[in-house]
Amino acid sequence: MMTNKSDVAKRIVRYYGTVIVAILVFVFFSVSANGFFTLKNVMLLLKQMSALTIITLGFTFVMAVGGFDMSVGYSTGLVGIIFVKILMNTTNFWLALLGGIAVGLVIGCANGLLTSYVGLPDFIATFAMGSVIYGVKMMMTEGNPIYVKGVEGAGIDLFRSLNSEMLFGVVPVMAVIMLVFIVLCFILMEKTTLGRRIYAIGGNREAALFCGINVRRYKFISYVISSLAVAFSAVLVCSRLNSAQPTSGEGYLMDAISACYLGTTMFGEGQPTVLGSVVGAFIIAMLSNGLTMLGMTYYFQDITTGVVVIVAVLLSVVMNRKSK
Amino acid sequence: MEEKKILLKAENIGKEFNRVRVLSDIDFDLRAGEIHALIGENGAGKSTFVKIISGVYQASFGRYFVDGAECCFKSTGESEAAGLYTIHQEINLVPYFNAYQNIFIGSEKKGALGLLDEKAMARRAQEVLAQLNVELDIRRPVKHFNTALQRIIQISAALVYQPKILIFDEPTTALGEEERDKLLEIIRDLRASGVGIIFISHNIEEITAISDRVTVFKDGQKMGTLEGSEIDGRRIVRMMVGEQEYESFSRGSCIDYDCQMLRLDGLCNSKLKNVSMTVHKGEILGVAGVVGAGKSETARAVFGIDGLVSGKVYVGGREYKPKPTTAVKAGLALVPEERRVQGLVGEFTVAENVAMVYQEKFTKGFFLQRKKERAVAEEHIKALTIKTTGPRQIVRFLSGGNQQKVVLSKWLCGDFDVLILDEPTKGIDVMAKRDIYKLISDIAEEGKAVLFFSSYLPELLDFCDRILVMSDGEVIGEFPAGGADAKEVITHAMLGGKSK
Repeated sequence: MMTNKSDVAKRIVRYYGTVIVAILVFVFFSVSANGFFTLKNVMLLLKQMSALTIITLGFTFVMAVGGFDMSVGYSTGLVGIIFVKILMNTTNFWLALLGGIAVGLVIGCANGLLTSYVGLPDFIATFAMGSVIYGVKMMMTEGNPIYVKGVEGAGIDLFRSLNSEMLFGVVPVMAVIMLVFIVLCFILMEKTTLGRRIYAIGGNREAALFCGINVRRYKFISYVISSLAVAFSAVLVCSRLNSAQPTSGEGYLMDAISACYLGTTMFGEGQPTVLGSVVGAFIIAMLSNGLTMLGMTYYFQDITTGVVVIVAVLLSVVMNRKSK
Repeated sequence: MEEKKILLKAENIGKEFNRVRVLSDIDFDLRAGEIHALIGENGAGKSTFVKIISGVYQASFGRYFVDGAECCFKSTGESEAAGLYTIHQEINLVPYFNAYQNIFIGSEKKGALGLLDEKAMARRAQEVLAQLNVELDIRRPVKHFNTALQRIIQISAALVYQPKILIFDEPTTALGEEERDKLLEIIRDLRASGVGIIFISHNIEEITAISDRVTVFKDGQKMGTLEGSEIDGRRIVRMMVGEQEYESFSRGSCIDYDCQMLRLDGLCNSKLKNVSMTVHKGEILGVAGVVGAGKSETARAVFGIDGLVSGKVYVGGREYKPKPTTAVKAGLALVPEERRVQGLVGEFTVAENVAMVYQEKFTKGFFLQRKKERAVAEEHIKALTIKTTGPRQIVRFLSGGNQQKVVLSKWLCGDFDVLILDEPTKGIDVMAKRDIYKLISDIAEEGKAVLFFSSYLPELLDFCDRILVMSDGEVIGEFPAGGADAKEVITHAMLGGKSK
């Protein structure tokens, strides 16, 4: 017999699982790494997590609907390449942005079509798409990066300002863009029919079908959202690197998956959520930032990230069991 | 006459969850070679009691003894080691494993070199099945077998260990009458061999037919134990629900025979052969048939979940092409057979499930109106007496009967013309059943058409205006529900005979 009180208590316990880990990590680095706990570094941290957060948010939609998007890593690179090429050729930022969004749409529609309408298993379909995308981007660049240099114009300046501009001189523009995304995704997921139905399908696809919900359509939309998020994030990445790197973004797949999973432990029931994914991305960005400040190699960072994810999920599972 | 020895004795058993008392003062005993039935509403405590003696839960109060020795099982492994096995309501077999593979899951026989000894497992499985007088191909994946055979395989998995005590939890759910009788025969044979049997069921007929003793649970307490000649259906119900008399359900009839709300014309697909039927406005059409007769398949085909090779569906006189995404707009409502898998999103709250079909009524533009969802859910909770802590409770914690009421509530939020019900009272207790019958009756009186698929004949007879019988994917007969020999005739038809 479940009483209201124990329901609420359970929720509070599950709620803070990942947040506790985030706080622990933050405190750890503040204490051990010199310069971590400064305004400048925290702002840098926000900037560093922007791209990852946006990708993870898009990924969250796909996870919530019960799918899986293996193409997010490679897509980032491809969109970046198209974006930068258009930018270099036209110095028109908005045109380049449109081009990037278009690529995102195409990839998203392809993923959505294969998984929802053709009916291929999500993992394989997006994995294969990822492969195709990889080939395309390598073909286009022959493995060489495209630097944004030797061209001038208002568009180029706008492009660069994404990386350099600060609101009120303190808050990076990228972080503000990230915030806008978070708010948008939150509203979409939690406050609209779209989000409700996505969760319904992810929770019990058959029941959703038996209610007359158009399962295929919502799944398709989720994949499009995911790829659109990738597109926006790719633009941010290019701005930070001032170039399109063919291999950029490949690490994002693992990071997005980790961040999203860290987020599922936050609200119990194992459901991916917007706020959860944000906290998850924050943790991952912190690890990268903090460990670099401590002088650790990239490989050590990978190990640490993996361990942290295990610990966070474990914490939540244990807390779940206890509250029973 | 020899006194049969006592296999299980429980004294003063009680259980609390988070300081909420769900079970109090249960005294119980089970003799060898007896069938002792437990009956009570959902939430009355019988499942909790059984879980305590099988080791899933530990008792908060009281103690119990198996074969004279005091026990406190901390896991089902421990109770099984003591000779106590449970045959669960859900048949959890691995569909692509065959009979002997399923029987030996977790206790595989190994031969030389530590490799699986398939021959030994097959032989032992064959032996056990022979004991039950059942023949089946032990090398065939069990998904090919019907529910009754799967149930038997499930039982065999326990029999391999020569249990002293067997607990059957609703074993005849979703079985047709003949299959049910066969299963009860098997249980009687087990009794004869000296096994002590605890039999949980909602089916009062069954219980009066087969039990030596009956213990009635209500609100976590034992109402009493009836023995031998004391066992009587009406008396049991009175103990279960209090002083209300259980009457055959009667309803006023207001059928408009000029208005055909739903017409199925020659539906054919891989499971259906030329199925046709008509439901009029205000009518409750029952469809009887054993499991596998094609009832669920018809429901699903009309709603568009399964495809049709040929045949037409007419809703309100207009032709309708079955597709789940248009079914709701066309005026169809479907309460599916498997409420947990098909009817509800387990993780969602009551309010969220109630709002799921006609979501437009709970949105303003793009945005959800959660307050409104909860308010409407609250209304339904009152109207249907759904036992829940409130609209925010997560539905998977509700009992079966209450879950079904939530499924019905979600359709009641909107305007449908035809309500299709597929085994709506499966595994639901007496009180909840009555509530659901009343609800369906009210719906029909409002002028909707109701199509009621069920393998439980008595409820169809009580309640429907006409009854169709399906067998093997075909409609083989139509009968008026009244008439003294209606039951005989329809049962005969359900067994594949032709109408007299």
